[in-house]
Amino acid sequence: MTAKRASATSPTIWTVLKWTVAILAAVIAVFPVWWMINVVFSEPGQPVSINPRLWPTSLTAGLQTVHVIFAETAYLHAYMVSVCYSVLTIAGVLLFGSAAAFEFALFDFPGRRIIFGIVMLALMVPTAVTIIPTYLLTADLGWLNSMQGLVVPGLASAFGLFMLVQFMRAIPADMIEAARLDGASHLQIYWHVVLPLCRNAMVTLAILTFMQTWGNYMWPLLVGTSPDMYTVGQIVGMFNSPLSHQTVEVVMTANLLAAVPPLIFYLLFQRKIVEGIAMSGTKG
Amino acid sequence: MRIISKLQGGIAGLLASVALAGAGAASAEGVTLEYWVYSDFAAGDALALQQQFIAEFVAKHPGVKINITGKGDDDLTAGEIAGAASNTLPDVFMNGLNVGAQLASVGALSNIYDKWMAMPESFRAQFNADAIKSCTPKPDKMYCLPYTGFGSLLFRNLTVLQKAGVDTSKVPATWTEWFEQMKKVKAAGLYAMPDTTMVFNSVAEIYGTTGDASNWGIDWATHKTRIDPTVMTKVLQKFIDMVPLNSGTSRNDQATKDLFIANQLAFHVVGPWVDPTYKQAAEKNGLKYDFQLVPGDTPDKHGGIKSYEIVGVSPGPHRDLAWEFATYITAKEQMGRWATLLARYNGNAAAMADPKVASQLLITKSVEAVKYAVDVQPPYFVGTVPSCYLATVVDIAAATADGKYTAAAGAKEMISQLNTCLAE
Amino acid sequence: MHLRRHLPHYLMIAPFMLLFAIFFLFPILSGFYYSFNDWNAVQPAKFVGLANYQKIIASRDFARSMWNLGTYIVITVPLGILVALGLALLVDNFTGRWAHVFRGAYFLPVVLPSFLAATIWRWIYAPNFGLLNMMLGWFGMPSVNFLNNTGSMIYCLIAVDVWASAGFNMIILLAGLKNIPTELYEAARLDGASKWQQIIHITIPMLGPVLFFVVTYGLISAMQVFDKPWLLTGSSFTTYGGRGNALLFPVMDMMGRGFGAVKFGEAAAYGFLLTLAIVMVTALMFVLRSWSDRR
Repeated sequence: MTAKRASATSPTIWTVLKWTVAILAAVIAVFPVWWMINVVFSEPGQPVSINPRLWPTSLTAGLQTVHVIFAETAYLHAYMVSVCYSVLTIAGVLLFGSAAAFEFALFDFPGRRIIFGIVMLALMVPTAVTIIPTYLLTADLGWLNSMQGLVVPGLASAFGLFMLVQFMRAIPADMIEAARLDGASHLQIYWHVVLPLCRNAMVTLAILTFMQTWGNYMWPLLVGTSPDMYTVGQIVGMFNSPLSHQTVEVVMTANLLAAVPPLIFYLLFQRKIVEGIAMSGTKG
Repeated sequence: MRIISKLQGGIAGLLASVALAGAGAASAEGVTLEYWVYSDFAAGDALALQQQFIAEFVAKHPGVKINITGKGDDDLTAGEIAGAASNTLPDVFMNGLNVGAQLASVGALSNIYDKWMAMPESFRAQFNADAIKSCTPKPDKMYCLPYTGFGSLLFRNLTVLQKAGVDTSKVPATWTEWFEQMKKVKAAGLYAMPDTTMVFNSVAEIYGTTGDASNWGIDWATHKTRIDPTVMTKVLQKFIDMVPLNSGTSRNDQATKDLFIANQLAFHVVGPWVDPTYKQAAEKNGLKYDFQLVPGDTPDKHGGIKSYEIVGVSPGPHRDLAWEFATYITAKEQMGRWATLLARYNGNAAAMADPKVASQLLITKSVEAVKYAVDVQPPYFVGTVPSCYLATVVDIAAATADGKYTAAAGAKEMISQLNTCLAE
Repeated sequence: MHLRRHLPHYLMIAPFMLLFAIFFLFPILSGFYYSFNDWNAVQPAKFVGLANYQKIIASRDFARSMWNLGTYIVITVPLGILVALGLALLVDNFTGRWAHVFRGAYFLPVVLPSFLAATIWRWIYAPNFGLLNMMLGWFGMPSVNFLNNTGSMIYCLIAVDVWASAGFNMIILLAGLKNIPTELYEAARLDGASKWQQIIHITIPMLGPVLFFVVTYGLISAMQVFDKPWLLTGSSFTTYGGRGNALLFPVMDMMGRGFGAVKFGEAAAYGFLLTLAIVMVTALMFVLRSWSDRR
């Protein structure tokens, strides 16, 4: 009897709770970003400390600040550098990483375990250890202030390999065997069978790689010393330096502008993630 | 280890051949100097004037090209150290006196003593003698030319002071008078000061109200701090006294400037670089403020710190031309124009005395402030101040303000910890 | 014959392995070599044996930063994953447009560069008039100087961290959730299992491999935490770690010793001590996994 009553009322309690928690969490996740947008698009000259900026007050003031920043810094050029840096890195990480992961996850060959073990060990060495030796190497190659200097040293991502191997291990061996019996070559199996299956993981890795390269500060700082190689991070760094005499709106605008391409990238790719999830869902 | 060096040799060889194939084209034409400056010197009007200096210099040296690049504080340091490591240093570059020792130790800064001495007396006499001394750790070693500099100033929000019933025409002459005014501000429900125990420079600024150059900095011969316990006791007591009056934000926080502009904060002890922000607020939202010397314990003494940005020359193949360019931008005519544009004090004393420059109040006040202020981290170019030194000063000052130590015990503890840190 | 059979495998891993050997393995080995040397990246290295390691272990900052790191990972990794799992389960309970909206909202912080997150949160944590203190004020509570109170600093960092990373882990876990066959839940429902029992007995075990990935990656990256505490404390190469070194972490100290004090040999030695810690923690994870598999 009690069980019956519980089943009658609990769905509504559950629903109310579900909605409350979901909305609360959404507010916490989004509000800081909303707040920053409000700081940018607000009446100029009003200090943040007496006006906590719960909504935007002036679109034109924000656009004016954006205009000033674009005029005074090479922000647009930095966008281009950052986009090239990210896109090339993503392409390389996905291509080289998936090819290697394909072998490590699905086949056995002499030395497989030991080579994979070494790569995994390297995953645990903090980049701060290798940054100076890698920098010296890049300088010796004559790659300072060049796109290849920015991109190439980061292409062999141990993390990407680890992640793709984890996902590819779930692919049933029968599937590979069946494809082989159908007469598919090694490369064809990789390209037509395995890659489509781990599209989901590839998209996730692409997003992660994008975030890492877009937010990467130290490496571009060392390699791209001349202004025509400045990334967005470096431009923002100039505004964020503690003794910068910029006001809050300007600093926040410079920061917000850095987030615009990731936000666009995210909106574009969110659908891809959903598709990927849906695909693997029907499979299960 | 042999394997590693072999591997290194092998890869280096391989890379060298690749590098050779890639190079070649760039260096055929005339000389190009790379010139690195602080990021705010490479934006807006400041950049325009820098480019004008470059154009003037290039006019006298046909075929020379000079690329100016702006970088933030830490980015300059990282870039210069990395540049020294990979032999890609900029030819002329800026940084702060406080990282001079590191830059000299990696050979980024070349010893310019001979070149300096070869300059005519009329040039050498233009500079502030103390600033030149800071660049010259030993009689035959000189690493920099002083560029822009600062002495801390006391920025006063006049609206806040009036609201608190303080007579703003009466500038506090001593710490006691100043502290009385702070208490009045607090009584009016406003903030008197930022939290001065949060960053090293603001601790140093308050130290300057009691102490002086003879009991500040590090004695590198004995690896001991020169901080005097009785002076530090007095200074720590000031921090304890100021606890209820402060805003909880640091001297450098964006938030502190924001409070000042919002008429919530009465005093801000800081360098002159905040002035453009405050001036803009004065024009746009009627902020009423002025700047004065930081009061000291006695009427004839003033607190605060001073330091200089420096211009260094790297030991590369274009060293002579780089030096010539460095002397051009630091000479009286250029430093005068530079000071006029930015309303910023700099190390060229002759330029500061020029009537057109001296008519700017911010500069005259800065010239005064520099006379009294203590150096931030003396002596320069001798040893690298370890991070534990700076951290200890701040931590003990803060802990004492929080009530963990009495002023006397805090001073004792600080000095003993500083000496341990220096011994490491 | 033997080689011919395996050649395609080696060819496929060759591009990755070549880049890896040049730009990772070689720098790691040379870093390892420099960790036994007094080296400022410019002058020739001078062999000093274990002196760098000894010096670091003896320094007072080492114990402090390791303690901070321990406290940090013990809280941030489980908490972050718990929050992410909660969000994933929550989103899984919505369908259509709302699932889309909530998932989108929770993922938003992930796409922001970390310098941006730190800049925003510095304002949120500001004393007296920061957003958080303003809210405390509504309940009549006194202002807290969050980023300058040695007791609260690390929790402030953890909050930012969870805020920034929960969305990413949520997406991964969500993908795992979608892969659990619905028949399992139906069978459980027929057996009369409650929602909670379904989570404990079906969801979590079925998520095992995905959870393992999320936890392991979370641990490895948490142990290399750098930019958020660096920016939250307003650090620079010469002073870092915040008040009382309460937000000092190993990688921050490495950067300071490297670019601040120009002792790259010491920084490298520090890095390998940290590597050792990471290897031990990761090994522990693998041992735990095989132990739980066997059970």
